Amino acid sequence: MTDAISTLRLEDFHEIIETLGPDELKMMLLKMHTIRLFEERAEQLYSQGRVHGTMHLSIGQEATAVGASTGMIRATGDAGDYLLNHHRGHGHCLAWGSDVNRMMAEFMGKESGYCRGRGGSMHIADIDANNLGANGIVAGGVPIAVGVGLSIKMRQTSQVCLVIFGDGAANEGAFHEAMNMASIWNLPIIFLCENNQYAMSMPYPKAFNIPFVSQRAAGYGLPGETVDGNDVLAVYQAVAAAAERARRGEGASLVESVTYRYKGHSKSDKQAYRTRQEVQDWRDNKDPIDRFNTLLVRAGIISDAEGAAMRDTATQIVDDSVTFSEASADPDIASIMDGVYA
Amino acid sequence: MTTAVILPKFGFTLESSKLVRWMVSEGDKVREGDPLCEVETDKVNMEVEATADGVVAALQYPAGVDVPVTNVICYILKPGESADGLKNALSQAAQSVSVTTAPSISAIPPQHAVTSTQSAPINASPLALRIAEEHGIDLATVSGTGAGGKITRADVDNAVARQSEKPRATPAARRIAAASSIDLKTVRGSGPKGRIQGTDVAAAAAIGVVQVLAPTPIAVEKPPASDTQLSVLSPQPAASRVVKLEGMRRTIATRMQQSFQQAPHTFFEINVDTAGIDALRAKLKARNEKLSVTSLLVKGCAWALGKHPYLNATLAGDAITLWSTCNIGVAVALDNGLIVPVVHHVETLPLREIQMRIDDVAARARANSLRMNDLADGTFTISNLGMYSIDRFTAIINPPQVAILAVGRAIRQFVPDEHGQPVVQSRMSLTLSTDHRVVDGAQAAQFMADLRVVLEDPMLLVW
Amino acid sequence: MRELSYAEALREGLRQAMETDARVFAIGEDIGVYGGAFGVTAGLLDQFGGQRVIDTPISEAGIAGACVGAALTGMRPVGEIQFMDFVTLTMEQLVLQAAKVRFMFGGKASVPMVLRMPGGSGTGAAAQHSESLENWFVHVPGLKVVMPSNAYDAKGLLLSAIDDDNPVIFVEHKLLYKTKMDVPEAPYRIPLSQTNIVRAGQHVTVVATSIMVSRALAAADELAKEGIELEIIDPRTLKPLDDTPIIDSVKKTGRALIVHEAVEIGGFGGEIAARIAGSEAFDYLEAPVKRLAGLDIPIPYNRELERNTVPQIESIIVEARKLAQTAY
Repeated sequence: MTDAISTLRLEDFHEIIETLGPDELKMMLLKMHTIRLFEERAEQLYSQGRVHGTMHLSIGQEATAVGASTGMIRATGDAGDYLLNHHRGHGHCLAWGSDVNRMMAEFMGKESGYCRGRGGSMHIADIDANNLGANGIVAGGVPIAVGVGLSIKMRQTSQVCLVIFGDGAANEGAFHEAMNMASIWNLPIIFLCENNQYAMSMPYPKAFNIPFVSQRAAGYGLPGETVDGNDVLAVYQAVAAAAERARRGEGASLVESVTYRYKGHSKSDKQAYRTRQEVQDWRDNKDPIDRFNTLLVRAGIISDAEGAAMRDTATQIVDDSVTFSEASADPDIASIMDGVYA
Repeated sequence: MTTAVILPKFGFTLESSKLVRWMVSEGDKVREGDPLCEVETDKVNMEVEATADGVVAALQYPAGVDVPVTNVICYILKPGESADGLKNALSQAAQSVSVTTAPSISAIPPQHAVTSTQSAPINASPLALRIAEEHGIDLATVSGTGAGGKITRADVDNAVARQSEKPRATPAARRIAAASSIDLKTVRGSGPKGRIQGTDVAAAAAIGVVQVLAPTPIAVEKPPASDTQLSVLSPQPAASRVVKLEGMRRTIATRMQQSFQQAPHTFFEINVDTAGIDALRAKLKARNEKLSVTSLLVKGCAWALGKHPYLNATLAGDAITLWSTCNIGVAVALDNGLIVPVVHHVETLPLREIQMRIDDVAARARANSLRMNDLADGTFTISNLGMYSIDRFTAIINPPQVAILAVGRAIRQFVPDEHGQPVVQSRMSLTLSTDHRVVDGAQAAQFMADLRVVLEDPMLLVW
Repeated sequence: MRELSYAEALREGLRQAMETDARVFAIGEDIGVYGGAFGVTAGLLDQFGGQRVIDTPISEAGIAGACVGAALTGMRPVGEIQFMDFVTLTMEQLVLQAAKVRFMFGGKASVPMVLRMPGGSGTGAAAQHSESLENWFVHVPGLKVVMPSNAYDAKGLLLSAIDDDNPVIFVEHKLLYKTKMDVPEAPYRIPLSQTNIVRAGQHVTVVATSIMVSRALAAADELAKEGIELEIIDPRTLKPLDDTPIIDSVKKTGRALIVHEAVEIGGFGGEIAARIAGSEAFDYLEAPVKRLAGLDIPIPYNRELERNTVPQIESIIVEARKLAQTAY
């Protein structure tokens, strides 16, 4: 991982800037801010006792979330791609376009939340937007992606399924079964491994005997690529390309996005497995929001002031969501049996 | 120890005797053989004698009252014993004759056999007898593990222990016992380890035994264990045999006794002109269809009961249930007793259906294949002895019902017509027994009036 | 009417479902050219092609997950797990995904999948190929569990399971595949959660599942000669369970015997017994509620040992007779 602002080649960079356009680019930066603020606020609420359970914060991983979703088509019905993500998925949901209010309400277990308060942080889904849900089981969503891919082929649409999982998931048996099936059946799936270099406490070098997860793709006959996960445009480039391939009928890809989480695995993690130094280094030198902000300012897309103002805008969005959620009602106990059977 | 003095049964058919007068008072000292009271039997007045030395205590009945035989009438205390805890009906305001349980015949020690001429002596050690008597254990329910089936002290001790436990009974047994106000402790269990089955309680409740799979013998003849314990006063003729009171016979005995003791029976007789019935039956016979008098009676009673709900009722504790449907039992004679299968919801059934059901259930009754359902939920009973050439009779009510109709045969008689001229009529006697706790005379009379109307003009049944 | 075997009836049902609804497809190991380990899917590959009759690698978790994903996105997959024993490899996807997605997502999304699997012993396949694990799934909210006991029910229940919008665990029995009876050719449905009174009788209520239904029927014929009439009840759907006919029956007979192949401890029989004891039927019991089920051992290889591990016609006769005669 480099300290450089971006790993993209200059001509790629310009092409991407052209393709996406200033509005999209600004939206991407705002999203990253929103994710960061949302996560920070969620942490605060938790320590104040206003949210219960636990949460898996993705502070520091915003570029992967935003870059990946920008590379996909987000729409409803057969026009939109599918998303399957994991327990550290608030960022993915927000990047996909989920309503911040309803996400915060779900955090607080309210009836107005995405899952009517039944799912909580780890199981947020926005079915209408083809967001098929976060999964509390490591690699739980990976075999499901295979089914989604089969369904896309049977229905003969041009949809693609993006399944996001972590480095830890790449060692689950289900991951391997799914990669193999996706390959033999040529399914339109992007396996995005968000490698933040620690499973829970298990550091990557101890769990793998290969330097990059993406090397596993070859074992299944799939294309694999590793990108700087803190470079939002690099992630975008890789995912968009994979989506292109899938839509052309060339099947599945594995994209490894190397990033870092600033916070512990969950709220009960003392982080004994890494040094403060290491965390600080990433924050100071490789922060994805800082980098993108710098990039956009240098490219003349935004001014410094605009960049700073984005954080305020994001703050407002998140504040509003807290207000909304705290004013929302809890689910009615009488409805406790709802939603088990169709 | 305290001796309970019972009213002896002086004759075979004696159900009760009127206590004419007491000849002692509470606190009087008596010697064995002294007269305690004078009672009226169907033949002649008899004296009840003291069966032990001691002090008279706790007179149970006032003079002038009918006392069912074998009921305790007073106690004789030994020195040092007290009357505390002994039931004393006289000290209560109530004049009721009812007693909740009659002491079992077999709890009486054999040396007082003058009072126990009807049962075979119990084979038990004296100690066992004494302990059983102390605790009120009915030795008929205790199996003897001693030589020759003799009941030992240990057997009685076990029975005493069991007595204070909750009875082993199935849920079905408990349900039926509750519904029929039967104390489970009075029911003998046929299930494993003496568990009381629903069928055992149903048998006690419904004058009959439902045979599901393993029929138990209804009457067992056993020769008396020995002659030496029999009293000199009532010599056992050599030619007679002793049949133990058990099974269906015992059930009937207990039921009849309870019913007659507890329900103040009143009787109402009418004689019905059977011309209408005869005409209908003849008409059907000409079409090769069979309609029995009993079926018509069942339907006719349902018709009349519909107008007199207090006769279509059951009494349990202090609750009278007025049934909205007529479930009429028809007494069927068996070899060793009788059984009363029920036709349910008579008011909804046409005569032909009633006939079919009665035929079916009577056949199954004789074939010993009735089911529990067949005996359940009766609200009124009809007993027809016409086929035995009985002119008229009175029947004992089938608890928890409150009425029963006894039917005699149709007799051709001369009766005056409206001009006073003799004409021949066929007339059948119907005698209704009612429980006066629930049914008053006027109600009964009106019921019978309606019954006569519909039986003499069966066309009314279609209305 | 023509007779079909249980396997043929399933095949016909699946074929008819696939003919009428393009969303239905089959997926599992060796279901294509091989025709399925027990022949249920024979001929379907030829008729529908490899896109709709999908052979998979040996990847049970993948199969189950694929069913979930496809069902979530508009399809109606019918997956096959080759032996019920291997369902253990799909547990995460079935229990944590298929069963819970709808609830966790607040009642949105549904997973209309069927996962078929043959369970049961009697073929000498020994401990790892003879399991009866249906009660594990009864214990999971969100799943439905169906066990057809005969060819006619198999077809009707399969069609209903495919129609159902919930994940259905469809448990077949190896020894039933070859049993034959009249099966109508036109498609028909037997509703899920509809208990069947297979035989009326007034002395003992026998609740039986899967292959125990036919064994109980044979036992009933024998006992009828002794005047003992068994009432045999087949729940057909274990969850959600229609228990009213069972309760009513026990009210009538006062005696209940539950027969299943799965191990007795922790088995479905406990559920039925508790329901009986907790219902109105309690007041009508003339004897304790009895279960006759598998021994608490893995299925042994030796034939006699295998036979003795689970209820057979003879053991059903003995138990039912004892209950009828109030030996308990």
